[in-house]
Amino acid sequence: MTRRKQFLFGMRRSVPVMFGFIPVAMAFAVLAGETGFSTSETILMSVFVFAGASQIMALELISLSSAFFEVVFATFIVNLRHFIMGTCIMRKIGKTNLGEKLICSFGVTDESFALTATMSERDCTPWFMYGVIVVTYGSWVGGTVIGALASNILPEQISNALGIALYALFISILVPGIRKNLRLILLVILTAIVNSILVWIGLKSSWAIIVSCIACALFGVWFVKDPEAQNSDTPLPKKEENV
Amino acid sequence: MNYILLALCMMVVTYGVRLLPSFITDKIKISPKAEKFLNLIPFTALGALIFPGVLSVDASRWYVGAVGALAAIVLSCIKRMPTAVTVIVSVLVTMLFFL
Repeated sequence: MTRRKQFLFGMRRSVPVMFGFIPVAMAFAVLAGETGFSTSETILMSVFVFAGASQIMALELISLSSAFFEVVFATFIVNLRHFIMGTCIMRKIGKTNLGEKLICSFGVTDESFALTATMSERDCTPWFMYGVIVVTYGSWVGGTVIGALASNILPEQISNALGIALYALFISILVPGIRKNLRLILLVILTAIVNSILVWIGLKSSWAIIVSCIACALFGVWFVKDPEAQNSDTPLPKKEENV
Repeated sequence: MNYILLALCMMVVTYGVRLLPSFITDKIKISPKAEKFLNLIPFTALGALIFPGVLSVDASRWYVGAVGALAAIVLSCIKRMPTAVTVIVSVLVTMLFFL
């Protein structure tokens, strides 16, 4: 594929993420306004940070009158999972120069990770990531601008229901990758159970995700018999037509 | 609290965590077991990202997210179902609970 095609492919694959990002970003912007952020502060937060979960969490912490350091530290903890996800993405992209590293790393989100998780190494290139970043970052910042400028226009029914969008996206990426491997399905279910137990006993959900996904992947090294047939490096034939 | 300064500090820790892997992955050789582990991470991470978080789509009614998730699972089991269709139908199904 030429660079232009890789770039456009990345943009095309990210369109579903756009549907998820814009409403979440709008929700963030509305919440930020209520927390006391000015319009420019709200927009700059999305421009600088580009991390939905930690931005919304920061608002919650501020409204609980947490200290500056606590908010920053909580952001760090919440985003630790991106270290693992970033490792997966950068490994898949392969050899990169400094500029490619700096740009591609900026685009590491739960969603870009999910997009690349079931892709072949051949398709996962820096220019593919640039396409992903343009759409995901653009819709994150764009959604924040829309939300900050026109907060109460969206009907409540729609904004409430949009909470499911990102989960539906994760599911639609996960299911085709595991449906033909029973042990992999069981491993995913086990991870969900372990994660639930950790949350239930009081672990912060960001930590629960990190612990359960690492622990269960370790268990999976022994438990899942033939990941080669299903793993992320094998091109999944139906996947590209899916998006 | 200075929110611009806060956003900048949050950027440093967020981007720092995202940037680190790209400088490490070139340097180390990975054994087959470690490779298998890393290949499984996307699946376990997605599982953990989905559940139980999906149950809190509506803070007071856990089944709202469960039904939306079920719709997404059923649709994504269908071959060649475009991701965007799955997402939009799941949102529409969830919206029924908020009407």
